[in-house]
Amino acid sequence: MNERIRLLFAEAADLKTYTLSNSTMSIEIAYIAPLCDEKMISDFITVPFTKEEIPYRKQLDTIPEYLKIEDPARWQDLMLRGNVLIKDIDSGEIFSFFTGDVICNESPQTQVESAIQGPQIALSEDLNKSMNLIRTMYPAPEVAVEEYSVGYISKTPLLVVFDQRHVDPSVLDNVRSKLSSISIDMVHAAGELEKLLIGKRRHLFPTVLITERPDRIAKSLSKGKVVVLIKGSMFALIMPVSFFDFMHAIEDNYEAYWMTRTLIVIRYLSIILTITLPALYIAIVSYNPELFRVQLAFSIAASRSAVPYPSYIEVFVMLFMIEALIEASIRLPRYIGSTATTVGGLILGQAAQQAGLVSSIMIIVTSVVAISNFVIPINSLSFSVRFLKYPLIAASIFFGISGVAVGLFLYVSYLCNLRSFGKPYFRLHGKVNPAEGDVGQVRAK
Amino acid sequence: MNRYAALLSLLLALLTISGCGFKDIDKRFFVVATGIDWSGNKSKPYRITLQLAIPSPKIEPGASKIQYETIDAPSIAEGVRMLKAYVDKELDFGHCKMMIIGEELAKRDINHSIEWMLRRRDIQSVATLAIGRPTAETVLHVRPASERYPGNALLLSFGADGTESSYNYAETLSGFARRVSEKGMDPALAIITNDGKESYIINQVALFDKEKIKTILTPAETQLFNQMSDHFTKASMHGMFKGTPLVIAINQLNSSFRLQGHTAPVRITMKVKMDVVFEEAPNGLFDKDWLSVEDALATEYEKAAVALLKKIQRHGVDPFGFGLRYRAVYPGKNAWNNWTQLYPDAEFNVEAMVKIEGTGLIR
Amino acid sequence: MNRYFFYNFMLVSLMNLMLFVPHILVKNRYSGGVSALIAAPVIGAILMYMFTSAMARYPGLGYPEILKKYCPRWLVSLTSVYFAIMWWFSSTIVVVAYAVLINRFFNPDANTTVILIMMVLAAAYAASRSTLTIAFIIEIGIIVNAPIILFIMFKMVRSPQLNFDSIRVIANYVTVMPTVITLAAATLIFTGYIHLALFNRLFPPNFRFKHLYVYPILGFIILLITFFVPIGFHGTEGVDRYIYLWAVTSDSLIMQYGFIERVIFLFLIVFLNLTLVYTMSGWHLGMEYIKSCFKACKPEIDSPKAPKANYIILAVFATATVLYLIFTNEKINYLITSYWLVLRMFTEIVGVLWVFILSRRRLKPE
Repeated sequence: MNERIRLLFAEAADLKTYTLSNSTMSIEIAYIAPLCDEKMISDFITVPFTKEEIPYRKQLDTIPEYLKIEDPARWQDLMLRGNVLIKDIDSGEIFSFFTGDVICNESPQTQVESAIQGPQIALSEDLNKSMNLIRTMYPAPEVAVEEYSVGYISKTPLLVVFDQRHVDPSVLDNVRSKLSSISIDMVHAAGELEKLLIGKRRHLFPTVLITERPDRIAKSLSKGKVVVLIKGSMFALIMPVSFFDFMHAIEDNYEAYWMTRTLIVIRYLSIILTITLPALYIAIVSYNPELFRVQLAFSIAASRSAVPYPSYIEVFVMLFMIEALIEASIRLPRYIGSTATTVGGLILGQAAQQAGLVSSIMIIVTSVVAISNFVIPINSLSFSVRFLKYPLIAASIFFGISGVAVGLFLYVSYLCNLRSFGKPYFRLHGKVNPAEGDVGQVRAK
Repeated sequence: MNRYAALLSLLLALLTISGCGFKDIDKRFFVVATGIDWSGNKSKPYRITLQLAIPSPKIEPGASKIQYETIDAPSIAEGVRMLKAYVDKELDFGHCKMMIIGEELAKRDINHSIEWMLRRRDIQSVATLAIGRPTAETVLHVRPASERYPGNALLLSFGADGTESSYNYAETLSGFARRVSEKGMDPALAIITNDGKESYIINQVALFDKEKIKTILTPAETQLFNQMSDHFTKASMHGMFKGTPLVIAINQLNSSFRLQGHTAPVRITMKVKMDVVFEEAPNGLFDKDWLSVEDALATEYEKAAVALLKKIQRHGVDPFGFGLRYRAVYPGKNAWNNWTQLYPDAEFNVEAMVKIEGTGLIR
Repeated sequence: MNRYFFYNFMLVSLMNLMLFVPHILVKNRYSGGVSALIAAPVIGAILMYMFTSAMARYPGLGYPEILKKYCPRWLVSLTSVYFAIMWWFSSTIVVVAYAVLINRFFNPDANTTVILIMMVLAAAYAASRSTLTIAFIIEIGIIVNAPIILFIMFKMVRSPQLNFDSIRVIANYVTVMPTVITLAAATLIFTGYIHLALFNRLFPPNFRFKHLYVYPILGFIILLITFFVPIGFHGTEGVDRYIYLWAVTSDSLIMQYGFIERVIFLFLIVFLNLTLVYTMSGWHLGMEYIKSCFKACKPEIDSPKAPKANYIILAVFATATVLYLIFTNEKINYLITSYWLVLRMFTEIVGVLWVFILSRRRLKPE
């Protein structure tokens, strides 16, 4: 066996092959050292083999963790996943034994979606630990778990988790067929898998929710959603989702009722502001200054009088600065990050206004745009929303306010047209009388 | 690739059409008030005065800067177009909320000016109209020291969030246009008088027939007129009770009228209800019988009101809308003709109901 | 799922402001406009009850599918094409009128054709989506915009500038018999139910129409406001002077303490949204009618990808609309609209009666 294995693999120093023999039998073992736990190998294979307290052949036959391998084609795959191959030279039978030791982080604190109340622990990069969390939070016998693997090279293991009682069969079929039709070499991140699942190359809005919070997952399971866990990523994918799920912070379930409702309203206001404000600024300053009160018109006019460029150049200058600032501070280490923000936000803004490059109102507009963008609770939506203002700016340069309104209409149409795994993405929740059925159900079958 | 090419060509197509209407706010000159006068010249009868705001970053009392442009022109629209040659930025009427018509012009014909204002899309229908005395130009040149930003002072005088003067009759462009065209309801405008110094007074009302001023009310009549036409603002009233002068503040006032009788003479009954508080009164009034005081005040009010109504009737105008009410109550094809015959002989009856709420903080 | 029906109704009844309805009624205020206000809810309600009860018998089927069950193909195709043109035109009037309105109030220096092209492209994109998507867009459009319109209307009714004497003068002309044109204009408000002709495809089999009595009452209130508020604001005579009656009326109102002081801008933006939604729904219906003429096209309510036929039909619609703008002006548009309103009323009556009789005939034992 060992010669054959050495032929199967490229010249690799970490590939270990030994031949051991004791009084009764001799075996060949082969494994890839970094993937396996050497201690386990010595505890379970080499030590019992040499000590001979119980005949090793008997151990191979009785302990269920020794799996008998018939097909030599599976050798490579098993070894790459941290199995040790053991050959009984006398009988020629081959067994595999899992001693895998995959380095992953311990279940960490939530970082991306932190909540003051509620569980502080996030999913782990290890599937077993994540499943542990989910099963503990959702201890129901109806939880079904299916195993898949994607990627021709990476062979990343996935778990598809759902509640059998509540899940929508059409969605489940959709997810299954999408997963099995994925053809790609490598998958390592949840976002990557999301793109593959959606299947569209260009998408404006996320139609799969990526989360690290086990409580959000448990809640979604109870609503009949399908959750996909991916090994090596501490994020899970929830599908199908609607736009409104993205605007919902998990803490809304935990805190006082009226304040959380108010917060939801504020979030929607912010999303509107962050999309439209730069465009509205151009439209009002350059097309319809009579829209606002006369004081505001005069103060804008006065503060703009030092600016030599048309309003949209001003907007582009400021938006470029703020986008660059956000981008820079994400990648920077934490200690430098805050300095960059201070320098950029406070000093540059002030200086740009005094230098007559932008008006003071524009500084306010830019800050409002940036701040309200961060109000969106789910990062992936907040990211895609950042893009939405640019087409509107273009529309407002050419058509003023009517351009902005038409642009918003197009966004709404696009959103309404989106489907997340066959379910409407942008649809207001309403009471559905189960006896009557839902709109569009007639031909759904 | 195709997609990008399509996008690029779309953008280029947009670029070719851009620029229409794109004009930055600092390249616009905001007209904050417009004055239209009679120039006296037959070939160029209209003198147009524009009050242009110079925006300044500081908005504080006394910081307003204004530029004036005046021109004589054969018509208003032409005048405005010619004025564009005098200024460096595009004129924008979007914030023009004050329209002042010179007294001389108002005594001739006002319709042409109103029509111009209505036709222009950028003049707000809520713009305030008023008469300027002696001319609109002189009124516009008044620069109150406290003005915070250009054109603010006049606007505040007329708006509900500024001063609440009982002599002030605010009329919007759309309201005036309605009265000009309506059968049975005649227009009225406040008069802004420049007293020759750096201020102005608004305490009179001019009554119009459908095209020009018919009569001008005195300040006292103006106050009464405002009360009776339900343009109520906090007002005070003088009165005499048993030889001692009284001053009362009217806190609340409602007026309504109704018509009685279909045939001549029509009786117009006007009801004025008011709640008053004493501002100046002889000591010890608190303990006296208020009913008799109320009666005395009411009779005095009624007398003054009937006199005012008679005066208005004598000039053949109808700012209260009696005619419109007649058309509403007595429908028929000839309603309007009937009314024109009935109105000169109509009788007036005013029922004032004064209710004293208190004597102020002291007895 | 009554709410989807309700949205369609609201959409049309609010859009009447753009369809010259107040204009026509006000023009005929001394000659039958007022009595038409009273007759219209009755006619509208009867037609609506007939239509909904007929359509409820064919869950999941659109108007063309129902006709195909009983009538020869050529007849169905002919009617479908005719309906498609009617629907295309109703949207065209609105969108063209609105492009002109934008040109007057928002961008006076811009070219009307360019503005129209922009609006038409947006509406055509939205109309090419699936029927289910259209239903959702209408829902969002109404939920966002209708409260603002109702707020403006409420503010107008409460405004001290509203003169009730003028309203009374006009209301006294209630005894004059309505004319065809005033009836046609007034019944338009109740016409939203006709969208059911295709949206019926969406409704599930056990669906019941509920609270039908609400619709005539609501429509009547909107009709009263549409007609009387401008009269109260501009007087019995002055009301006739304005071309953009409601735009000017909203300009006469001021929100002293509002964020946007001039109501007209709020009004225009809201109606721009509604116009786009209306155009979209009208074109979508027209498109579906035309598609139903072809044998190959199966009615599909939520296809993930828009078929090519959609784009072709909508391109024709859009081009025709732009040409319509180029070859007409405000005056001709107004005139054609009046004729279209009358034609629409008769078409509607015939269409409703037809499907009503068909639905009853099926009930008889065979």
